[in-house]
Amino acid sequence: MDKNLLQYKGSKQAMALIGLLTAVQSIAIIFQAIYLARAITQLFQGADGSIALRSFVIFVVANSIRHLIQWVKERISYNFADQTAKEFEQLLLRKIFDLGPQALGKYGSGNLVTLGLEGIPKFRKYLELLLPRSMSMAIVPVVILVYVFTQDKMSAITLFLVLPILIIFLILIGMMSQKKIDAQMDTYRLLSRHFVDSLRGIVTLKYLGRSRAHEQSIAVVSDKYRIATNRSLRFAFLSSFSLDFFASLSVAVVAVELGLRLINGQMLLEPSLAILILAPEYFLPVRELGNDFHATADGKDASEQIHKILDEPEIQKPQIVNPIKSWDKQSKLELRDLQVQMEEQTIFEGLNLTLQGHTKIGIIGHSGAGKSTLIDVLSGFTVPSGGQCILDGEPLPHLAIEEWQDQIAYIPQHPSIFPDTVLNNVRFYEPDASLAEVEEAAKRVGLDQLVAAFPNGYDEPIGAGGRVLSGGEEQRIAVARSLLQRRQILLFDEPTAHLDIETEHDMKQMLLPLLDDKLVVFATHRIHWMREMDTIVVLENGKVVETGSHEQLLRTDGAYCRLLEARGKGHAV
Amino acid sequence: MNLYQRHILPYARKYRKTLWSTIILGTLTILSAAMLTFVSGYLISRTSERPENILLVYIPVVAVRTFGISRAALRYMERLLGHNAVLKIIADMRVQLYHVLEPQALFIRSRFQTGDLLGTLADDIEHLQDVYIRTLFPTVIGLFLFSFSVIVLAVYDWKFAIIMGLCLAVVAFVYPMTSLYLMKKNQRESKKLHSRLYNTMTEGIFGLRDWMISGRKEQFLFGFLEESHESHEMDKKLAYWQQSRTAQLQIFSGLLVLLVGLWAGQQAAAGSLMPTYIAAFTLVTLPILEGMIPISHAIERLPAYDASLERIDRIHEQNPINEQLANDVSDLANTTLTLTNASYRYDGRAEDAVHNVTLTIRAGEKVAVLGKSGAGKSTLIQLLLGTIKPTEGKVTVNEQTAAKYGDDIFEVMSVLNQKPYLFATTVENNLKLGDSNATVEEVQQVAEQVGLYDMIQSLPAGIKTQMEETGQRFSGGERQRIALGRILLKNTPVVILDEPTVGLDPVTELSLVNTLHQSLLDKTVVWITHHLMGMEKMDRIIFMDDGKIVMDGTHEELLASNERYRQLYALDEGMS
Repeated sequence: MDKNLLQYKGSKQAMALIGLLTAVQSIAIIFQAIYLARAITQLFQGADGSIALRSFVIFVVANSIRHLIQWVKERISYNFADQTAKEFEQLLLRKIFDLGPQALGKYGSGNLVTLGLEGIPKFRKYLELLLPRSMSMAIVPVVILVYVFTQDKMSAITLFLVLPILIIFLILIGMMSQKKIDAQMDTYRLLSRHFVDSLRGIVTLKYLGRSRAHEQSIAVVSDKYRIATNRSLRFAFLSSFSLDFFASLSVAVVAVELGLRLINGQMLLEPSLAILILAPEYFLPVRELGNDFHATADGKDASEQIHKILDEPEIQKPQIVNPIKSWDKQSKLELRDLQVQMEEQTIFEGLNLTLQGHTKIGIIGHSGAGKSTLIDVLSGFTVPSGGQCILDGEPLPHLAIEEWQDQIAYIPQHPSIFPDTVLNNVRFYEPDASLAEVEEAAKRVGLDQLVAAFPNGYDEPIGAGGRVLSGGEEQRIAVARSLLQRRQILLFDEPTAHLDIETEHDMKQMLLPLLDDKLVVFATHRIHWMREMDTIVVLENGKVVETGSHEQLLRTDGAYCRLLEARGKGHAV
Repeated sequence: MNLYQRHILPYARKYRKTLWSTIILGTLTILSAAMLTFVSGYLISRTSERPENILLVYIPVVAVRTFGISRAALRYMERLLGHNAVLKIIADMRVQLYHVLEPQALFIRSRFQTGDLLGTLADDIEHLQDVYIRTLFPTVIGLFLFSFSVIVLAVYDWKFAIIMGLCLAVVAFVYPMTSLYLMKKNQRESKKLHSRLYNTMTEGIFGLRDWMISGRKEQFLFGFLEESHESHEMDKKLAYWQQSRTAQLQIFSGLLVLLVGLWAGQQAAAGSLMPTYIAAFTLVTLPILEGMIPISHAIERLPAYDASLERIDRIHEQNPINEQLANDVSDLANTTLTLTNASYRYDGRAEDAVHNVTLTIRAGEKVAVLGKSGAGKSTLIQLLLGTIKPTEGKVTVNEQTAAKYGDDIFEVMSVLNQKPYLFATTVENNLKLGDSNATVEEVQQVAEQVGLYDMIQSLPAGIKTQMEETGQRFSGGERQRIALGRILLKNTPVVILDEPTVGLDPVTELSLVNTLHQSLLDKTVVWITHHLMGMEKMDRIIFMDDGKIVMDGTHEELLASNERYRQLYALDEGMS
């Protein structure tokens, strides 16, 4: 049993109710067997059809009750499972949003989407099966065994002995086949990935002139995969084989033994028939459990993953003595002895930096130097593991504070374009902005001509499923968004790295006038931006190695000059 | 139904023998479970008459034991055989899909704008296993049982066989068809809600930063909950229906047991059936029905396959016919590429993507092509590769029409693009994709040439190290180097570089550009780039705008004569 089960809301009630119903159900099963056996015996002994009919009717009633109870049980457990799954879906999503981009980095965006959309239904299926299956397993065989014991001790003993043997066998086979399957897991994974790999790499194959010949290799590998799969299935199916084998063999044994004792006159027909009918019912819960094995295992995995994410520590909202002011010329933010750990990796180990008033700060450095991490700390997406952020004299452990984030506009390398209209994309941060305001912002970033060319103007759908925008156009949307907000702090994270030089040139002309009278932090490895900055911060391996204006740094002949040289070499040779 | 005719039936026909064997084994499995009950019922009834000699019941005793064992064995065989057949079909479907996809490989992106269409298609084929395992097998097995029971009954009493036939038809036909009819809409709706939820979730997670910064987190969560609720309610409807249907069918089965029991009793009374068979007939009803109840669920699943079948069908729709290959690719020593007044216009566009371009690229020449995205650079490459034919003008490679080369063009030109794909195999195999006959020394030499030697030495198994999934073990620069190594092994006279340095940081970019220059010294190079790094080393720089060549000259010429070029160059150098 799952240790988390009892913590789910309503699980105890559901369990109690299902347990009670299962007990009633097992009595119905016994009645069903008794009266079916009786009806058959009556007919066998040549009794009138109407007498047998009475027994048959009781059988039908018992059978109906049994299945109605089953229906009620399934409904209860479905509702319980659905409620819990829904609750956890919400918790999970909220948790992801609370943890922010850090969680995305740790677990992978794709994985989280899969967990949310496939993991939750699996979790639901698991819960749905868990309660009724385990209750049936615990109650039905016992009740049947007790009844059979009152009728015929020998049969009861046979049934009683087979069950543990069956379970031991299942465990042994399960362990053995798992070993076999694990041993060939690597080859197996490679083979199974081959086709997806071939499809995704089809353009590359084409360019290499190998694509046509590759068809043969798909056939060969698929065949190898089939053979490998067959080999492991031979083991995987063994467990259900042994279930079937023991269950039906022991029914056969019980039948033959009953027959022998009937010949000797030690038994009567009616109880013998009843036992014969009950024998398969005795094994039914185990067989169901075996059949649902995979669904249960998948659901359990999903459940563990969900719990793991939910158990991540919350980001503590810091105690703020003075309310956070909106950023102005006098404001000051000091990062003192900042430390950032991501997984096992140390990114910042004692970073110090002061940001003040309306300055433009350029962050430059090699990839991996920590530019993006610094932007993430400033935007409150990353929580430092040590050090302080002192905002206007107020020491804070991190900046994941709503009042701070409300002042920030953030422009990444690949801004999110939501599947919505141009209008709603531009006013994403300010959903109440009027069309006129949006038009004004679009004009300032040079989007107006593009939008005018759209058949639906500002109502043109863009993003997934809509019109595809170029990298430069997406950036313009992102900048228009932040313009609309009139936020005081602009954070840029490599906004032009992927653009062609001409688009970058145009973007620069458009952006520069917008950066005045704000706090700007501009992280990039494109050096030309640095000339426009008031202060340049050179990062190397998570440390600030130089600060100063372009001219100052040129004179010092340090890290900044080395970066310029590296750049220059490409041209100079 | 047409979809099934195109994408399921041909395979079913091809593997009909294995499929039939599976179905027969499946039927025998259920029959032996039924026979176990039948014979046990008979055995117990017969022994209760206390026959003189135990040998009189010897046959049923053996039969009971046999059926007890055979059910498990048959089921085991059925499952193995069934999976084997399905895996064979899957292998065929994969080859077929690839076969159809291969000629249109270079156009897939323009035909379908979706993200991971290819991954989805691979999943679709996987998913279609269920057509056989979860729908075809249970349905046909159920129908076999249906006919079998009606025929056996007819031997005893054809009137009762008709009555029972009608009753069983409720289980075998009425419920499955009703299920399909009632739930079709819900199944579709459920699928639609799921994919909407998928989109919302993706949008939320990939745009997480924006939702957080915008302060609209709660709004998003609320919207998501609403959609999730709808989806859950629809799933609940489907689950409720399945639960109710199963309960109804089980209760109905109870009634049928009563019917068979009374019939057997009456037959026995009339003397046409031995009384010992009453128990056998009565008891066998339930196991037989157990084999027919799954039909409903199997049939109900049909709408779930639609999406996959439709996607696969769409790929099959377009099958471009390859040109006859008549070109000689043996003499490539002096490959000249020529465009003469070439224009190209995409279907349904008002303007040319490439307009009236005349250009000759001589053997050994290094040409850079610059321009904004959408200026026609990629179209120019496609024209050179002959994968599209100019709407006007001529494109020739060695004085032969480019389009006529077909796939042989790749013996003349190699392409290094933005995201070369690395396959999930060893580094060595990835390199050897360029030339499968390359010797170990050649591979080593190429690895050295592209500057990977040290890196490969540091890998756990050297050059035999497995690439991790899509090569995540390697950085962007290293991936490009491996792809470049492939091209060097391929050793074509012309190499086309399609923005290979996008997204690399300047230091990596610089060192890759240097490697490119060094290793491609003796080749004709057409280099599409968005940065001006390394332009000095090119023989010629072509600037494209709106499909036309607007500048053409050496770096020095352009620097001296062209203000715009000067500006961009300064910007790229960091000195603007």
